[in-house]
Amino acid sequence: MPITCEFEYHKPKGLPQAIAILRRHGKSASVLAGGTDLLVWLKEGLLSPAALVDVKGIRELHKLELKAGALLVGACVTFTELLESRIVREKLPLLWECSHTVASVGVRNRATLVGNICSAVPCLDGAPALLDYDAVVLVRGPKGRRQFSTADWFVGPHKTALRNGELVLGVKIPLPKKKCGACYVKLGRYSGEDLAQVGVGILALSGGEYRVAFCAVGPVPARATKIERLLHGKRLTDALVREAQDLLPEEIQPITDIRASKEYRMHMAKIMLERGLWAAVARLAGEAAPAYGESLI
Amino acid sequence: MKQIPIRFQLNGVQRSMEVAPNDTLLEVLRERLGIKSPKTGCDRGDCGTCTVFLDGRTVRSCLVLAAEADGCEITTLEGISQNPTPLQREFAKHNSFQCGFCAPGVVLSATELLEKNKQPTREEIQEAIGGNLCRCTGYTPIIDAIAGLTDESVCPTLQTKVVGHSVERIDGWEKITGAARFADDLEFGPGLLHACIVESPHAHARIVRIDTRKASKLPGVVKVVTGKDFPFKFGLYMQDRYIFAQDRVRFVGEQVAAVIACDPKTAQRAAALVEVEYEPLAPVFDPVQALEKSAPVLHPDLGGYDHVPWFFPKPKTNIAHWRKIRKGDTAKGFEQADVILEDTYRVPRYAHCAIEPHAMIGLLDAAGRLTMWTASQSPFTQRHLFAQALAPLGLSHKDVRVITPYVGGGFGGKAGVSCEILAAALATAVKGQPVKVMWSRAQEFYNTYQRQGVVAKVKLGVKKDGAITALEHTLWWDAGAYVEYGANVVNAVGLSATGPYRVDNVKIDSVCVYTNLPPGGPYRGFGYSEFFFGLESEITRAAQRIGMDPVAFRRKNAIREGDNLPYGAHMNPNGLLEAIDRAAAAIGWGQAEKATAPHKAIGKSLVLFWKAPAMPPNAGSSAFLKFNEDASLNILISGMEIGQGLLTAMAQIASEILTVPVSKIRVETPDTDRNPYEWQTVASHVTWGCGNAVQKAALDARQQIFDLIERALHIKKDDLYLEEEKVKCRTQPGWELALKDFVIGGIEVPDHTFRGGPIMGRGMFMPEFSSAMSDPETGQGGHPNVHYTTGAGGIVIEVDTQTGKTKVLKAALAVDVGKAINPDLIKGQITGGLLQGLATVLYEDMRFDENGRLLNASFADYKIPTALDIPAEVIPLIVESPQPDGPFGARGMGEHTMIPAAAMVANAIEDATGVRLNSMPLTAEKLALALKETP
Repeated sequence: MPITCEFEYHKPKGLPQAIAILRRHGKSASVLAGGTDLLVWLKEGLLSPAALVDVKGIRELHKLELKAGALLVGACVTFTELLESRIVREKLPLLWECSHTVASVGVRNRATLVGNICSAVPCLDGAPALLDYDAVVLVRGPKGRRQFSTADWFVGPHKTALRNGELVLGVKIPLPKKKCGACYVKLGRYSGEDLAQVGVGILALSGGEYRVAFCAVGPVPARATKIERLLHGKRLTDALVREAQDLLPEEIQPITDIRASKEYRMHMAKIMLERGLWAAVARLAGEAAPAYGESLI
Repeated sequence: MKQIPIRFQLNGVQRSMEVAPNDTLLEVLRERLGIKSPKTGCDRGDCGTCTVFLDGRTVRSCLVLAAEADGCEITTLEGISQNPTPLQREFAKHNSFQCGFCAPGVVLSATELLEKNKQPTREEIQEAIGGNLCRCTGYTPIIDAIAGLTDESVCPTLQTKVVGHSVERIDGWEKITGAARFADDLEFGPGLLHACIVESPHAHARIVRIDTRKASKLPGVVKVVTGKDFPFKFGLYMQDRYIFAQDRVRFVGEQVAAVIACDPKTAQRAAALVEVEYEPLAPVFDPVQALEKSAPVLHPDLGGYDHVPWFFPKPKTNIAHWRKIRKGDTAKGFEQADVILEDTYRVPRYAHCAIEPHAMIGLLDAAGRLTMWTASQSPFTQRHLFAQALAPLGLSHKDVRVITPYVGGGFGGKAGVSCEILAAALATAVKGQPVKVMWSRAQEFYNTYQRQGVVAKVKLGVKKDGAITALEHTLWWDAGAYVEYGANVVNAVGLSATGPYRVDNVKIDSVCVYTNLPPGGPYRGFGYSEFFFGLESEITRAAQRIGMDPVAFRRKNAIREGDNLPYGAHMNPNGLLEAIDRAAAAIGWGQAEKATAPHKAIGKSLVLFWKAPAMPPNAGSSAFLKFNEDASLNILISGMEIGQGLLTAMAQIASEILTVPVSKIRVETPDTDRNPYEWQTVASHVTWGCGNAVQKAALDARQQIFDLIERALHIKKDDLYLEEEKVKCRTQPGWELALKDFVIGGIEVPDHTFRGGPIMGRGMFMPEFSSAMSDPETGQGGHPNVHYTTGAGGIVIEVDTQTGKTKVLKAALAVDVGKAINPDLIKGQITGGLLQGLATVLYEDMRFDENGRLLNASFADYKIPTALDIPAEVIPLIVESPQPDGPFGARGMGEHTMIPAAAMVANAIEDATGVRLNSMPLTAEKLALALKETP
């Protein structure tokens, strides 16, 4: 299946050039990082840009570095690089576990976390971790820099707060100051590579703080704030988990599509919330916890 | 579009070139640099066949623009194979690959893993190759090789020296090094034209008008053709298809017109410019609804269609064929029954998903000769159908030549003729220039054969002592828009829908119904997987109802040699009882096992299966075998290597007889001009049919050798035998003559003249006892099936009763192969076929919307198993109860390995949870929601 649309290919070496090209082409330009979504869209004719701006030539977008208590993940950092990073593994295990469920090795070697959040499909695996860690999306455009909380970033299915002519530089993920245990539970149709039908990312921080975010069960990935408030300051018990499960219909809006029915998504969201909470808490306590990366469903 | 200059290292060599911005790396590697190991499997990053190393990491080259490779270092399997690695040797030793189409990607992914991790765990290996789809192997032999595991199974003491031994595949190394060429890999030079097909967006419509003017005007377009250019019918068993739709389309995706252009991009752009006006007609998608009086009749001319004499179409209805079996008296049988059960089972459509898409290239040269290069299981049948369909253009059989290189997986999807007819027809439109039609992954899903859906009603009567008194089995097949091949699936099921059971009173109605979905056709199992889902579910239910152990119930009713078959002939020798006992033992039948968690439950089941080759009664095979100067051999056959290992098995048979080692035997894929006839590589019959031909050819060559020795050297031929590539004599122990000393140049006699000449064996085989003709109302009187291969499958599963997810802990499959020519290859079939079967029951299925459009025409939403989805343990069990007319006693078993899967899982789920699901697939979702409803 060839790409039949025609476009210019640009590979700027610096940010100002990139911004200039993006500005010149406005909405008819597309940014190319890993390209694992973009090329499929080009082949399927879902997108026919006049210009592609390959940002992999811009050195600073490859940064993966710890700075002032936060991890900066540049726009060109791949999921494989995240998985191989010791900081991610040790300090941001939820991001590690999310990344681990993305596609497969050959795709992760190319696909980027930033590309993932720019695609903004409702099922993106990267989102729950970024939401739970309160990550910040760093954007630069013709008028200078802007930044967004992850929650404000997702506007709708395939829609983000990014404006024409702007470029995402990366995401800044503050390392949790407290000890934490994490868990990402993903529902697929089987064990192999699949798009999430439900995804829940849970962060249990010492002192009874819980952060819970879902993907694939609403138009945008989002934190489950009512559940978080319910759990806050409490020790996890079966009864508490049941209460949290009961709040789910207020927190998520699953739909029926070819991958799963809304009934099954809701059913599984409950089970995944329960298992994820217990796993995160066990990992926080470091007792009899399933290893990170182990499937809970 | 401005071209972009790029420089990169390719397999250690600095290259520079100009590329278009919209060229992918895969296109440039394959089409401009002759690098063919990365394959086009899905072209959207789902399958992993296009894997290459880019700056030290594996990537999907279909998802990388060539422009992005500027300044990069690229390594492909070609580069690695310059100095083959120990890993590649392990793959060869383990016979890890079958069709080999996925091999380049797998080798690269495994290489990347081993570079980082010298001793990976099995889980790490599964993860590393999890993105490389393989449809043949079931992954286990691949994982074993990467883990460096040695096979501990010991060959029993055998009388034979080569047959019965797990020799290395003769095509293994070619596939592991990336040398193997598939149809899409062949080069045709700069004159190659490319076609793109214009497809119907409607499931049922009248074509009002086609306007090709805009498309024709696009620069680079050579020709635009429509149905008017080819008003020719074709079909294998019933001629109900046109090359292009004429006045009516009958499924979404049906070919309406084609654009031939200088390059694929132009062809695709121009195809979008062809304007077709349709008048939509009422469609029908459900086979039961299609039988209602109000349903639109899809083929008003059905009464005039040519078909084989054993089909019984009902003109002016949607019934294309109705196979009836009437044996004994079912009314009486049900009267005698203590318990009668009746249930309806539904099976959806499935896709073959060979990783290699169909590729077909046609060339009608200036002298009027048509050569076709196709990815096909059926070179001779294709030649026949091409010649038949294009006869109005003046072509005859001798003018048509079909060349079929390696096939990247078939499973029935590349049998007969489907989209290949397009390249044949288009070649006649652009005489003198080769034209290529490359099927996309989406087209693979919606416009090739699909496995037919079925609604099946099973009514079973049993006595309290476990005797089956009567069976009524009614099957309504959703056969799709055209049934030229699929109707024979329906026929085959009609003959055999009792399963391997002795039933005296039988009524079977297998009804082939036209619908407005894509054409149904052959798929590994040929209808048996479908009917066994219902039948074997019902058998277990019956045993439960009378309180009898389901395995004991099956054992009691299992068919024995000499028993009457549904159509009246007698059952062949078989090891079914041994298969039952061994499969039962392997899964610990009768032993309770504890689940790993309170919310999980263990279930076990055991089911039986059988299948006969479905083929015309006079399907023939033939073989040539010729010696070379060093006494090495070339065997010429036209049985296809589609991954199953046919070439190796044929080499083993010849090797056993002629004592030439397998390493000195070359067997290659055919060219119908050079190779002798083979009907098709389908029906699990080539080991048997083609094997018989090769055996006869080898015996013929041996006879020629012995005759020559007697004539030239006056040693009695009855005293001669072959050993270690030499002729030896029982009565003269000191005498011997090496084959290489005379098989080409003959034997010098005292007057210095020579006797003999190049030795060349010839063998042919056709069953002479088979007949398809019988009473249309009862099915009695013929001998349509040559024999049945039987077996039993057992499974242990663990169901998560909250999520509905089913995990296969153990799957054992015992199959009576008559004689295992190569046990490794048999195990490969079992491991691969089982996984393919398990996928159909656990998650695969084709979903259509209310307009007949396929919703999941990609691997993103039609999920085929990955290395992460294999059973925890597969136990292949080989039973050998010889087939009297098989080569060394062998009979086929390739399809059988997926047949028991559906019922096996359904029964085990019921055992674990008490929930009985009658509608495939038995997804986690379906089970979880059913469990939620169950108190």
